[in-house]
Amino acid sequence: MNVAMDHWSVIYREKEHALLALDQVGLHLFPGRITALVGESGSGKTTLGKSLMGLLPGSAETKGRIRLDGQEMAGADEAAWNKIRWSKIAMLFQNGPANLNPVHRVLDQVAEPLLQHALVSRAEATAEAEKALFRMKLSPDQIRRFPHELSGGEIQRALLAMTLILEPPMVILDEPTAALDAMTKGFVSRIILEARDQGKTILLITHDLDLAGKMADEAVVLYLGQVMETLPGKDLLVNPYHPYTLALGRSYPSMEMHRDLGGIRGDAFYRIAHRHPERNGAVRPHTHVIGAETAHEDGHLHPKGCLFQSRCTQSIPVCLEKGVPLMEAGHHRVRCLRGGIAVQLELQQVEKRYGNLTALGPTDLRLRAGETFCLVGETGSGKTTLAMIAAGILHPDQGHRRFEGRDMDHWIRESYRTLAGKIGVIYQNPADAVSHRFSVFDIVAEPLKIQKRYPDKESIRRRVLEVLSDVRLPTETAFLQRYPHELNMGALQRVCIARALVSGPTLLVADEPTSSLDPSVQAKVLKRILDLQIEKGLTLLFITHDLGVARKIGDRLGVLLAGKLVEAGPTAQVMRRPAHPYTALLIESARGQIPAASAGTNAPPVTGCPFAPTCHCAGKDCLTRFPETTRMEKDRRLVRCHYPLHSDSPGADPGASGSDEMKTGLGAG
Amino acid sequence: MRLDIRRSLMNDPWFLSGALLGLVLAFLAGAGPWLAQYNPHDMRFPPFTPPSSDHWLGINDGGMDIFSELLYGMRNTVWFGLATGVSALCIGVLVGMACAWFRGVTDQVLMRLAEILLAIPAVMILILAAAFFRPSSWMLSMVLAALSWPTIAKAVRAQALVVRKTLHIQAARQMGASGGYILLRHMVPELFPLYLIGFAAKARMAMFMEASLSFLGLFDPSRKSLGMMIRYALPYYYLDIWWNWLLPPIFCLTLLIMSVTFLAVSLEKVFDPRLKEAL
Repeated sequence: MNVAMDHWSVIYREKEHALLALDQVGLHLFPGRITALVGESGSGKTTLGKSLMGLLPGSAETKGRIRLDGQEMAGADEAAWNKIRWSKIAMLFQNGPANLNPVHRVLDQVAEPLLQHALVSRAEATAEAEKALFRMKLSPDQIRRFPHELSGGEIQRALLAMTLILEPPMVILDEPTAALDAMTKGFVSRIILEARDQGKTILLITHDLDLAGKMADEAVVLYLGQVMETLPGKDLLVNPYHPYTLALGRSYPSMEMHRDLGGIRGDAFYRIAHRHPERNGAVRPHTHVIGAETAHEDGHLHPKGCLFQSRCTQSIPVCLEKGVPLMEAGHHRVRCLRGGIAVQLELQQVEKRYGNLTALGPTDLRLRAGETFCLVGETGSGKTTLAMIAAGILHPDQGHRRFEGRDMDHWIRESYRTLAGKIGVIYQNPADAVSHRFSVFDIVAEPLKIQKRYPDKESIRRRVLEVLSDVRLPTETAFLQRYPHELNMGALQRVCIARALVSGPTLLVADEPTSSLDPSVQAKVLKRILDLQIEKGLTLLFITHDLGVARKIGDRLGVLLAGKLVEAGPTAQVMRRPAHPYTALLIESARGQIPAASAGTNAPPVTGCPFAPTCHCAGKDCLTRFPETTRMEKDRRLVRCHYPLHSDSPGADPGASGSDEMKTGLGAG
Repeated sequence: MRLDIRRSLMNDPWFLSGALLGLVLAFLAGAGPWLAQYNPHDMRFPPFTPPSSDHWLGINDGGMDIFSELLYGMRNTVWFGLATGVSALCIGVLVGMACAWFRGVTDQVLMRLAEILLAIPAVMILILAAAFFRPSSWMLSMVLAALSWPTIAKAVRAQALVVRKTLHIQAARQMGASGGYILLRHMVPELFPLYLIGFAAKARMAMFMEASLSFLGLFDPSRKSLGMMIRYALPYYYLDIWWNWLLPPIFCLTLLIMSVTFLAVSLEKVFDPRLKEAL
């Protein structure tokens, strides 16, 4: 069944308050495709599902059009809907057991739609229902029980059988796998895929981003009743364009991700419109986003701005002013004034030499706002050089740098201080990174004093206290007057983090910030950095030699070998299936396995791959020629190896790459 | 680190004795005009009078009160040492910092100049200058400072070259700090121990030099000084007045130099491990 929903709005009105459940939603569903509807609670997912069944309560006001196979259903009466319900569209409601009548046996309830809609005899209906329930792997004994005698998973399977019993061409599944164990979830998933293969139109409403990502052909991301992004399902967790989708993905405990859970800053429960007298006596209708922390006064929405603005970490003043339509961006459609997640830093073919020594070969690196990129590699592999080039401290011999869309070298020449305020740097050794003649206050206030960002001492002091409490350090005067040698390493590194954050940077370059800390302090510091990233939307370039750390915090991982980026890609994928033998060796070593090949060599080849002499799969050309960059998995990964351990993942479609405008990948290196 | 230094200084007998001695002598020199009962230039007393309650150290051959002379002489010596030490330190720090900061040609030129000055014996220049031009003692102090800065400059330069590469200066540079800010807020304070050591060494050298030159009679004869007292007392050593005329200036001079030396030794001992480590 083809479903076309255009400019569909649903408003629940109660006295002078109006809850905006859906706002101008456009949605197109096609046979044989699974469309996933994702978003936080209160984003309007269920309301949308109910709209397609004509099940909205009478108090709901609707606007817009819904066409089912060309038939206009907006404003249709119950009779018209009744013709469609169950036979054309069936819905699996959430909260499984609550949808069954406790005083009837499961089998009878599953047979009910057949009796109601298919005009068959009770015996035929029961036989049909029995078959359907057996398909769901329920035993003859189980299907004759009452609902309360079955487990949640069994009830969910029974409900699914009931939903599909009339073979409707369109199915709406509201949280079909919520509260199911992994095995049952897998079973239900297979049933859904079978239904898709039969050519059914499927709308999958779910919190389960893994499921949505795996099964859906298209994912629609709803936020407070607005579509924020539509994207191919496969991209949902790994290549989102909208900051909301990214944050949503980070909040989800996916098996595919190693990174610690993020979350989205702030809260948004629902959106209401109402009118009431203001302080100046005027009565103005306005809309609110109601959240846990928003008082009535600051919950006011700008009448035109982006809904996600207050929680977005990359919002700019214009986001308050202008309404944003959904815009095409590659295979995605994004509702964001900035065209989705902005590119924070772009390095093109940057290169650094010291005399004869090439510290860093030509390297490309692109960091998107709010992501964490971890650079790993041995000592002397050029990690710090690359980081310092990214931070604007080192000047590359060759290549271009762009920061927030501006030429970085030009920016450095024009007004370095304004750039310096946007980049925070955390150094490896906190004891060396601060002057021992400075008190804690002096250390943290130093960037502000240098950059002259605040007019007076009082505002500097306020800002310093604010950032100290951000990194969970005491703010009393006694602490401010302490000197570095009086603090332990963990506290001192947090002082350094506070210093890096005090001028409100958008990019944080951290050069092994935790390597001088013990594990418990390291854990605290890393947690704090990640929390701050969620709160402030920092882009993080994280240098480490510790793969364990990279795995826990990184969205993407880059492996440097002798000044060359030999592999890069989403952390989980690289960790699970490294493509470069060197990466594989690094991971093995990090796991504590003693590598078979003796690592390191006295004389690495000048022209070839530096790893060739110790590599177990090196060929002849490895010693003579350094390989070009090979891209994999729709540009999301790259590897520089003549004989990569595997060339592409089986699931990725190679044809779809290239034209994508906002690829996360790193260009040719 | 600061606390460590303070504690080790307080536990160091060299430092304690040097500081105590220095304080007493500095008090005597500073309060000299008020402690002295008589004008040291006053020649109205009977010569060669032995010490009495009126004249604690007796009267010299010219009829002047020796105790008053001693106080004034010490005052001059101390001032000469301090002035020379401060001036040499200022020149040395300026030159050393400039070399480390600008490097290149500036560094080359200034360091070669320093080496030339190191090769020339300062005493010779000073004797010649004093003999030919008869300058004031202030002028001589400046000449001495101008000759003796190179060792300070070299130490400051070496240390500053290390310090300018340290992480906290790199961090300040990343924050957008200007050169002046980094020099004043980071580099100059960082080398503080070096200044103490350099100053102590130069002050000691200058005091000794002042005494030597005035002993040789190369200073203004009307200017009271410990060296000159020794010079005038020496011809009369057979008169059995050596203990009240000759000994006191020698004793004072020795104590002065000892005090500064003790301080210098103790400071060097405390700060040197760090310096050596850094170098």
